[in-house]
Amino acid sequence: MTEVRLVDIEKRYGGFLALPKQSLTIEAGEFLVLLGPSGCGKTTTMRMIAGLEDITSGDVLIDNDRVNDKPPKDRDIAMVFQNYGLYPHMTVAQNIGYPLKLRGISKAECTARVLEIAEKVELEELLKRRPSELSGGQRQRVALARAIIRTPKIFLMDEPLSNLDAKLRVTMRAELKHLHHELGVTTIYVTHDQMEAMTLATRIAVMREGRIVQLDTPKKIYSEPVDLFVAGFIGSPSMNLIKGEVENGFFVAKGVKIPVQFSDRCDVVLGVRPEDLEIVERQRANIMAPVYALELTGDATLVTIKDGATSICVRGPADFEANIDEVCHIAPRKPEKLHLFDKSTGERLNS
Amino acid sequence: MKKHIFWTIERALLLLVSLIVLFPIFWMFLTSLKRPRDAYSISLNFKPTLDNFAMVFAEPWNLGSMVLNSAIVAGVTVLISVPCASLAAYSFSRFRVKGRKILFFMVLSTQFIPAVVIVLPFFLMFRSLGLLDTRIALIIVNLAIVTPFVIWMIKGFIDAIPVDSEEAAMIDGASRLRVIRDIVLPMAAPGILTSSIFCFILTWNEFLFSLILTRRDAVTLPVGLVSFRTERGDLWELMSAAGVMITVPIFIMAMIIQKHFTRGMTAGAIK
Repeated sequence: MTEVRLVDIEKRYGGFLALPKQSLTIEAGEFLVLLGPSGCGKTTTMRMIAGLEDITSGDVLIDNDRVNDKPPKDRDIAMVFQNYGLYPHMTVAQNIGYPLKLRGISKAECTARVLEIAEKVELEELLKRRPSELSGGQRQRVALARAIIRTPKIFLMDEPLSNLDAKLRVTMRAELKHLHHELGVTTIYVTHDQMEAMTLATRIAVMREGRIVQLDTPKKIYSEPVDLFVAGFIGSPSMNLIKGEVENGFFVAKGVKIPVQFSDRCDVVLGVRPEDLEIVERQRANIMAPVYALELTGDATLVTIKDGATSICVRGPADFEANIDEVCHIAPRKPEKLHLFDKSTGERLNS
Repeated sequence: MKKHIFWTIERALLLLVSLIVLFPIFWMFLTSLKRPRDAYSISLNFKPTLDNFAMVFAEPWNLGSMVLNSAIVAGVTVLISVPCASLAAYSFSRFRVKGRKILFFMVLSTQFIPAVVIVLPFFLMFRSLGLLDTRIALIIVNLAIVTPFVIWMIKGFIDAIPVDSEEAAMIDGASRLRVIRDIVLPMAAPGILTSSIFCFILTWNEFLFSLILTRRDAVTLPVGLVSFRTERGDLWELMSAAGVMITVPIFIMAMIIQKHFTRGMTAGAIK
């Protein structure tokens, strides 16, 4: 198994600093997800590991071997592209077998391997077709098969599921996870979908404007986001972020008064996830506001309440019923699930 | 209703234009089948003959050697120009080298110079090299004329190939040259074929340089056509027969590439 280390890497396009100097170690056998909004530098980081993008300064080490000047073909990696990067003039079988052909493996062995892999990803019926005759999901599987036909040191996946429909995405996600478990190959995965990141990753690196803002396990990132950006990015529906201040042991905003273990301070943002809030009777309520919208998701009802600029979403029971504009009473379930952030810097205040 | 009228007018106009363009060609075909005494007649009632074709290939016209000259000059030009242009086009399309735009502009700017301006320097150069009236001279000149155009054309096709496939191949273990061979060339093949035929047609029809740079041995078909203007007057029926010989190969080629042709013409422009 292979460890990948990025040491003080930096990327500039002319005068534009795309990735400021930073380091990252991807441990052997790990499934690391680079997560962030578009343009945050996650794909660039991956392409530098692949050798498709020059590194302005710093080193990329694959198994302690500096690969900065090695062309992609000598890095022993496999990559799945967002648009699959299939060879449109070749059949599915030729597409899958191309990496073996390049390594001078005999035709007979190549054919046998292609068949074996095709069965694994359920493509054996389609081997004679061309990519243009396949559906999105099938193309995706061809790209995957081409990546796993030889066992590379590292898998790189650049938003491989983003062109699939929602249902297929869930299925393929499970397949990818199983595949990683089965092959145990170090995998680096780029996505902007926090759900994919949460479900697949051993560790997630959340990126923003070229910088890794938090690198941790999905659980830790979900429960202890380091700043407002991560807090707002991870989770669906996203975390409620309420602007207010701490006064005499209470967080106060319009319609909100919640006890917190924190010294007095202005310009604070309180973060609390919809599932960490509950609908309560009037006496116990810390938050009171009229109902703005009700959304039944099947197993729960998402209740949005709104008072002035403050809008708060709470996950209530599926059988909850209320009229719009009716006042709703809410309280946090556990005080340790409350997150306080500095409004101007965005940094986390409580630990 | 309005649409219908427009459609009818459009068709009528197209037909008219086609007639205007095609009629002279049609008339050339007819004339090539006529005896000398019928050549000036506008009557369609004549006895067709193939004598004219036999005549132009015999002495003193010797059209055969001109066909050979034209075929060799055009063929060799294509064989040298297209591989070079393909590699150049790939480089222009893919490598982000400093000064790339200026370089590409310079390549294209060679097309801005009118041929008449440079024909005399070429004449003097080839005279001092002792290459006047040779096919080599014509091939060199045609390469210079045609290659920039072919580069521009093929670049349009290569630009349209997604980089993803190339990057995938590089990661799968292919070197840059292998990528060009296995991925780029097969995908650009229709474009390269179109460009080749285009290049052949341009060279085949080239007139001015052939006229100035050849005298007897290396004369090409378009120049040969002039020799039918003799002291005995213009030999229209023979000239037409030779004209047919020039037109037919181009006609066949144009039919082959018809589908790709407009795409090839606009590929560079759309980008």
